[in-house]
Amino acid sequence: MTKRRILPYLVNLALLLAAVTLSLAIGSVVISPSQLWQMVSGWLKGIPMPKELETFAFIISDIRLPRTVLMLLTGAALGGSGTAYQGLFRNPLADPYLIGVASGAGLGAVIAMSIHWPYSLWGMLAVPLSAFLAAMLTVLLVYSVARIGRVVPTTNLILSGVAFSAFATALTSYLIISSQGEVRRALAWLMGGSSQNNWLIILAILPYLVLGLGSLLISGHALNLLQFGDDQAQQLGLPVTRTKTVLLLAASLSTAAAVAFSGIIGFIGLIVPHVMRIWWGADYRRLLPLSMLAGGGFLILADILARTLMRPQDLPVGIVTALAGAPFFLWVLRRSKNQGYW
Amino acid sequence: MFRKLIPAIITLTLLLAACAPAATPTAVNTQALPSLTETLTPTPTQVTVFPLTLTDGLGRKVEFSAAPQRIVSLTPSGTEVLFAVGAGSQVVGRDTFSDYPDAAKSVTDIGGSMGKYDSEAIVNLKPDLVLAGGINPQELVSSLENLGLKVYFLANPLTLENMYANLELVGKVTGHLDSATTLVTSLNERVATVDAKLAGVTEKPLVYYELDATPYTAGPGTFIDLLIQRAGGTNFGSSMSSAWAQISLEQLVVADPAMIILGDAAYGESATTVAARQGWSALTAVKDGKIFSFDDNLVSRPGPRLVDGLEQLARLIHPEAFK
Amino acid sequence: MAIRALSIVNLSVGYGDRLVLQDITLQVPRGSLLALIGPNGAGKSTLIRAASGLLPLRTGSVHTNGDDFLHLPSMQRARCMAVVPQAISLPPAFTAWETVLMGRTPYLNFLGQTSPADEETVRHALRRVDALDLADRRVGELSGGEQQRVLLARALAQSTPILLLDEPTAHLDLQYQVALMKTVRQLAHEDNLAILVALHDLNLASRYSDQVALLVNGKLEVTGTPSEVLTSERISQAYHLPVQVLSHPNKDVPLILPGE
Repeated sequence: MTKRRILPYLVNLALLLAAVTLSLAIGSVVISPSQLWQMVSGWLKGIPMPKELETFAFIISDIRLPRTVLMLLTGAALGGSGTAYQGLFRNPLADPYLIGVASGAGLGAVIAMSIHWPYSLWGMLAVPLSAFLAAMLTVLLVYSVARIGRVVPTTNLILSGVAFSAFATALTSYLIISSQGEVRRALAWLMGGSSQNNWLIILAILPYLVLGLGSLLISGHALNLLQFGDDQAQQLGLPVTRTKTVLLLAASLSTAAAVAFSGIIGFIGLIVPHVMRIWWGADYRRLLPLSMLAGGGFLILADILARTLMRPQDLPVGIVTALAGAPFFLWVLRRSKNQGYW
Repeated sequence: MFRKLIPAIITLTLLLAACAPAATPTAVNTQALPSLTETLTPTPTQVTVFPLTLTDGLGRKVEFSAAPQRIVSLTPSGTEVLFAVGAGSQVVGRDTFSDYPDAAKSVTDIGGSMGKYDSEAIVNLKPDLVLAGGINPQELVSSLENLGLKVYFLANPLTLENMYANLELVGKVTGHLDSATTLVTSLNERVATVDAKLAGVTEKPLVYYELDATPYTAGPGTFIDLLIQRAGGTNFGSSMSSAWAQISLEQLVVADPAMIILGDAAYGESATTVAARQGWSALTAVKDGKIFSFDDNLVSRPGPRLVDGLEQLARLIHPEAFK
Repeated sequence: MAIRALSIVNLSVGYGDRLVLQDITLQVPRGSLLALIGPNGAGKSTLIRAASGLLPLRTGSVHTNGDDFLHLPSMQRARCMAVVPQAISLPPAFTAWETVLMGRTPYLNFLGQTSPADEETVRHALRRVDALDLADRRVGELSGGEQQRVLLARALAQSTPILLLDEPTAHLDLQYQVALMKTVRQLAHEDNLAILVALHDLNLASRYSDQVALLVNGKLEVTGTPSEVLTSERISQAYHLPVQVLSHPNKDVPLILPGE
């Protein structure tokens, strides 16, 4: 019994580690396995790096490593919040962008881009910060419009989310079109985040991810109960409205933090939970951590492809996740023997 | 319009300041910046004195201890400028779209489409200067800086004079101040020639310059707008409110431009495709066959070829003045 | 005098100007089974939802063993009263065991960690409804009757003195209807629970309940023993249909035949 319970975590962790290793070893600049081995063994033994490998070591530690960590965190956020959203809305089509996080973030980012910030730390953070705040503001608006007294009906949330998303997206498009040349920058951001890629960013989003994903991790049992519907969950003793609110906030917080720096990467939040469900079952107590691990791993792999498929062209990760994700999911679906896995 | 003047003035001031003699306590300043309208007379060879500190288009102070020998250019216009001043052999990396001159094509491609550059490839080239331009966002400059690279942001010029200043700046930094100055002088002459030929012209025909088949045209503040006017025409896009503006066909029909210049010829547009568009047959320009394909790179890349663009536009708009 | 386990007094529920339930007063003592009958739309489900704390009351109160039920915190309420809903749209991926285990929620921490004692309770509940062999089957694969039994087991796992069932026989085959009602009756009499069941089948109500309450258009027409409530005038009036009331051949309860 114990072995069965640990197995999913071991498998997901192994996949994640493999993904991380590949991500450090592979990039647009080709470093041969023997050179890699030379660097790793030298580093382990404590001998200084031979000069000709210094640039390679720098590429790995200063370019690939922060990028890998960022993709890991972003993927974990999307996988975890996607799972939470699907559980909250009891809808297999729910993804982290359902109630306006993405469109709100996009609007915030584009608004920030239309102001010409001076070149400074503040100027650099203006866009992601604006994206994050706008995303959370949108979620709060969607929530308050959907609320009826003390209850927040799920259907209302979805409708309200769709309405606000449409509005925000339209406004964003308008701003992009009437912008003074920020079109390129805005579109690039929307498809795959800023080109910023350093430890400062990772530190910036870490508190939100810890808070958001941490709250989700302990809410597996609550999500299980919510699968029976609000009525039954309430009758079984769950304070439904309060729980749903907290879950919504936690999921949105994680997503907003991820989107603010990595842009709008689709598919992960939608597909990873489903794959996890097919492989490991529908218990949310396990589904949440497993989806976080798998989301991180999958996004890292997608990012490797994005960096190397058309080198030196760096594809937006969102394109790769959609292109690679769809066939992969169909394959998993076909192979799954559990027809009623949902 | 006014919003764009302020950064332009600031940029111009900074660039002029950058071109001013560098005040170093120990070195003797032997460079002399000739007046922009003087023709070339034998002057002592101009040499840039290092070390040199410049303030780039983002207000950043960049120090040069010697002329950079391994330059990565992030923009097609930057590449053109580098090659034009004679620094082509010092360029070790360029963005995907740098396709002029031909020699640039054999330089290592380091990405750049959709705003995404290959930082690994850039770092691997071990550049001693990365030349960024107007199309590169601040975050890119900052992230390259964080990787320990020296980045210089060449702000987009807004006038031909700005563009000359950029040429001279790049020439100065790369140790080709002489060629740069010579180039600027000759460009100046060519522009003066065009001005002279157009001196007697009274009519300014309405020109519709197409950037995209949607259709989009070039609005105020673009070089296209500036050059069309300098070439003796009136830009239909002048009345738009943004630089990249979607137009209404109705307005175009009412305005009835004298000619259509297809900047999107490279994307497959031609006189035939335009004539086939629904409703476009009402335009005089279509009926008279005054639809001309045009190499958009000549008027949208802020480099020396803008003068080529000016000359070609002038010939199209006032062929009678160039017989 | 029996202890009033479940006491509903002057309960009214409405939306806007409309009153869906008017001034309902009901008592269900421990060790007894009360059947709530009435035509569709009379408000049977609404009453169960209101009594279990899902709907705000216009007037009235609900007391369980003397406590003001509606003002207890949710966990407390769940230890007092369990509801068996109709077996429709259950999450198909959970196993029967996992589903019944949810019933232990009021006694678990936020993470839902269970102890061997909880698992024993679940086993016992499944045995009670004769569904232990279904434990590892996914709910989506079970028949309607089996699902209903699982839901009943879940309510039993909640270990509450009061049980509410909302039309549990609605989608069941005849043999399952009878089996379920037999079990529910046993639970009332042998396990000393106070049970309120909403039923649409009048004969089931007659055969298995101790008390019957007739709900028509949101008002409680009458409460009493099956014989007292299930008369031909009352039923004909309530259901707008002439009925014949006979005496059950084997038991001393009425048998209702629709039509003349």
